[in-house]
Amino acid sequence: MTTPKLELVSLCKEYDGGDVVAVDGIDLTVAPGETIALLGPSGCGKSTTLNMIVGLEDPSSGDIRIDGQSVVGVPAGRRNVGLVFQDYAVFTSMTVRGNLAFGLEVRKTPRAAIDRAVAEVAELLGMSDRLDARARDLGGSELQRVAIGRTLVTRPSILLLDEPLSNLETAARLAMRQELRRLQHEIGLTIIYVTHDQVEALSLADRIAVMHAGRILQAERTQVICEQPGHVLVAGFLGSPPMNLVRGSLRGTGHGEAEGGGGMCFRAPGFVLPMPETAGQGLPEGTYTLGIRAETLRLTRVGDAGVTGRVALVEPRGADSVLSVVVGSEVLKVVTPATEAPCEGQEVGLCVPAEALCLFDGDTNRRTAFCPRERA
Amino acid sequence: MTMTAAHMTAAHAAADAAMGAECAMPGAGLSPALTVDGLCKRFGANAALAKAALDGVGFSVPQGALTVILGPAGAGKTTTLRMVAGLDTPDAGTVALAGRDAAGLEPRERDIAMIFDNLALYPDKTGFQNIANPLVIRRMAKDEIETRVAEVAATLQITHVLHRLPKTMSGGERQRVALGRALVRTPALFLLDEPLSSLDAKLRIELRAELKRLQRERGCTFLMATPDFNEAMAIGDTVVLLRQGRVVQVDAPQRLYDAPVDREAALFVGSPQINLLEAAYVPGEGDGHMVAAGTRLAAPAHLAKAFGGGAQRFELGIRPENLRVTEPASGLASGLASGLASGSITGELTDIEALGLKSVLTVTNPAARLRVLVDSAEVRTLRLGQQVGLEAVNTPRMLAFDPDGGRSLLHG
Repeated sequence: MTTPKLELVSLCKEYDGGDVVAVDGIDLTVAPGETIALLGPSGCGKSTTLNMIVGLEDPSSGDIRIDGQSVVGVPAGRRNVGLVFQDYAVFTSMTVRGNLAFGLEVRKTPRAAIDRAVAEVAELLGMSDRLDARARDLGGSELQRVAIGRTLVTRPSILLLDEPLSNLETAARLAMRQELRRLQHEIGLTIIYVTHDQVEALSLADRIAVMHAGRILQAERTQVICEQPGHVLVAGFLGSPPMNLVRGSLRGTGHGEAEGGGGMCFRAPGFVLPMPETAGQGLPEGTYTLGIRAETLRLTRVGDAGVTGRVALVEPRGADSVLSVVVGSEVLKVVTPATEAPCEGQEVGLCVPAEALCLFDGDTNRRTAFCPRERA
Repeated sequence: MTMTAAHMTAAHAAADAAMGAECAMPGAGLSPALTVDGLCKRFGANAALAKAALDGVGFSVPQGALTVILGPAGAGKTTTLRMVAGLDTPDAGTVALAGRDAAGLEPRERDIAMIFDNLALYPDKTGFQNIANPLVIRRMAKDEIETRVAEVAATLQITHVLHRLPKTMSGGERQRVALGRALVRTPALFLLDEPLSSLDAKLRIELRAELKRLQRERGCTFLMATPDFNEAMAIGDTVVLLRQGRVVQVDAPQRLYDAPVDREAALFVGSPQINLLEAAYVPGEGDGHMVAAGTRLAAPAHLAKAFGGGAQRFELGIRPENLRVTEPASGLASGLASGLASGSITGELTDIEALGLKSVLTVTNPAARLRVLVDSAEVRTLRLGQQVGLEAVNTPRMLAFDPDGGRSLLHG
C-alpha cells in the first residue's frame, strides 16, 4: 500500500485557553492524486484546518503528516504545499509572466528553469498567449487562473484551495470548475478543496468530508455521500433542496408482522406514515428522524394519498420547481416538473415512495440499517 | 404501504388540473406601489461623453408583491434602487410612489427602507438593541417592540445572537442582524440590494424562502436587486431583467425561463447554460425539418409556424434538461462517417460534472458542443471519451433566435 499523501491525526485547535474549540479532533487520510473537499458552513473549522495544513497556524494537539512525515513545527514555506485563496492576491502591476515566475524567482531558481516552468504552466492553463498581458487587464477567471498557476509553478505536492471560486461570476465559475477538473486529470495533483458550496464540492471532489462544529461528520466518496448520508446533519446539508428530515417516533401498528417485519408506523405531529417492509431486520420502536428525498415525493389528488398538505411556497428553478408543502407542523420540500407546479395555497396529496425513505437514530443522529425493500 | 408509485396516474391527473390554472398574482388590481418611467442617468464630469448607467428604465412594482431586478454587475440595478430611494436624482424620467410623483421628496419623506449588502451595526448595542433601534426611535410600545424583534429574528434564524454584541457574532450573523433592523419597520416599500450575497450558499437558499414568507405574511412590498437568476426565480413574483441600463424583459420567473426575449436572456437564465446551435430550417412534408449539430432533426410545430413555411437560418436553443442520452453509440458514429446523421445527435463525451443526484455531460462533435443534464445514476455506465447519442425531448420547449440580432423568433 502506498503512503498516504496527507494524514490528519486527532487534529485539534483551541483558542482562548480552550474556551473556543475551532477544530475538535479530526482524523482524515488523503491518498496521492485524490481531491477531497472539506464542506461545511462558515465557522465549522474548515479554514482553520486548512491553515494548519499550510502551517499558518499551529495545532493545539494532534499530528499532520505529509508523505508519512510529521510537518508540525515545519515553517509554512518548507512544507511544499500550495495555497490559493478566494482573493487572488495577484500582483496587478506585473504581467502574467511576472506573476507566474515570482515564486521561483524568490527561490533563486535559474532563469532557464523558470522560463521552462512558466511556459509549461501557462500551456496547462491555456494562457500561453496571455503571458505578456498586465494582470490588471485580466478578468476574474483569468486572475484566478494566474493565482492557481503561480502556485502550480512551484510544483507543490499538495494544492490547497480555499473557496477559490467564490469571487467569480456564475459563468466564469462554471468555466473554472471545468478547468479545474481538466487539471486534476492532466497532472494528478492531490487537492484539498475548502468550500461552503456543495455544488463545487460535488463537481470537483472524489471524496467529501462534511464538517460541523470542528468535527468531520462523514468523509465518503462523493456519489455515496449524496445517496447515503450517514448523519442527519450531512443529509440536511447535501442536496438542493436537502433531504426532508422529520423527527418523530416509530411504533408497531399491531398487525402486519406476518408480512415480514412490516407493520410499523412513523408518527410526527400531524404526520402519519405507515412504513414499508424492510429488507433487513426490523428496527426497535423509538425516536427517529425520517429522511425523505424531495425529488422522490409525488403530487397526487387530495384523498389519494395518506399525506395531505398545503402548498406554502413555489420556487421555480426553470426545468422544475421546489414546493414547500406544509404537512402538520412540518414543511416538506417537493421537487416537481415546472409544467406541473400547483399554485400557492393549493391543497395537495403526497405520495411517498418506499425507496425514498431512510431513518436516522433519534439519539446519535446516525443513519440506521433501515433499508426499504422495493415492491415488485 | 398504501402510497406507492402506483399513484403516478393520479399525480398526472392532479398536475394536469393544476397546469392550466393561472395562479393569482399578488397586488393585481391595486395601484402600483412604485412606477418608474423613462429613467436616465449618466455619471461623470462630462455628461455627454459618459456612458449611460440607465437608459430609459421603466417598470412598475405591484403592492404586496415581490419584484426582482435581475442583471449582471454594472447593469444599473443599484443606480435604479438609489433613484427610487431618492439618494440620486435622475437626468430624465419619473419615480412615482403609490401614484404620487416623488420628485422633490427627500429620502426620509419617501416611506422607504433600503437594505444594502453591507450595513454597519452599533458595536456597543446587542443584537436585540440593534434590531429594535428604528422602533425605539419611533417610540413604539416596549412589548410590541419585543414581539416584532422576536418575529424578525426567528425569520432570519438569529434568535441566539439577540443578547450578544456584534463583535461576538459571525459575519453572516451580523449581516442578518442588519437585515433584521431594516425589516422590523413597516414602510410602504422595501428596497433590497443583494441582501443575501455575502451569506453561505445554504443559508442564502433558506433565508430567501423565509424573506418571501415574511413579505407575504405582512403583505409588504419588496423590490430586490440580485445578479443571481436562481434567487430571482425562486423569490420573485415578477422579474425585471436589466442589461446595460435597459429593461430587456419583465415577466413571471417561469416565462423568463421558457420564453426569453433574446439569446443573451436565454444564456443568463438557467444553469447549466442553454445550448445554442447554428441551425437551418428546411420546409417540407409535415412541419419540415432542421439541420443542427450535424444532424437532421424533425422540426417541432411551433418553430415551423414561426418560420411561416420559408427556409431560414436561425439559432436553435435547447435547454440541457431537454436532451437525453440514447443508446451509447459504439465506435465511430455512422452518421458522422457518412455526412449527416438523422434524428440522433452523436458526439464524444468530453466532460462529466457530477452535481449530486444530477450530472452535466458535455458532448462534443465537429459541429457543436452540447451540455446535457441527466440523472447521475445514468452516468455510471458512461466513460469519458466514448461516443454517445443524444435525442431532443420536450421539443415544444425548443427556442429559436435570430442568428444576427439574437432576438427570439418566437415572440410576436
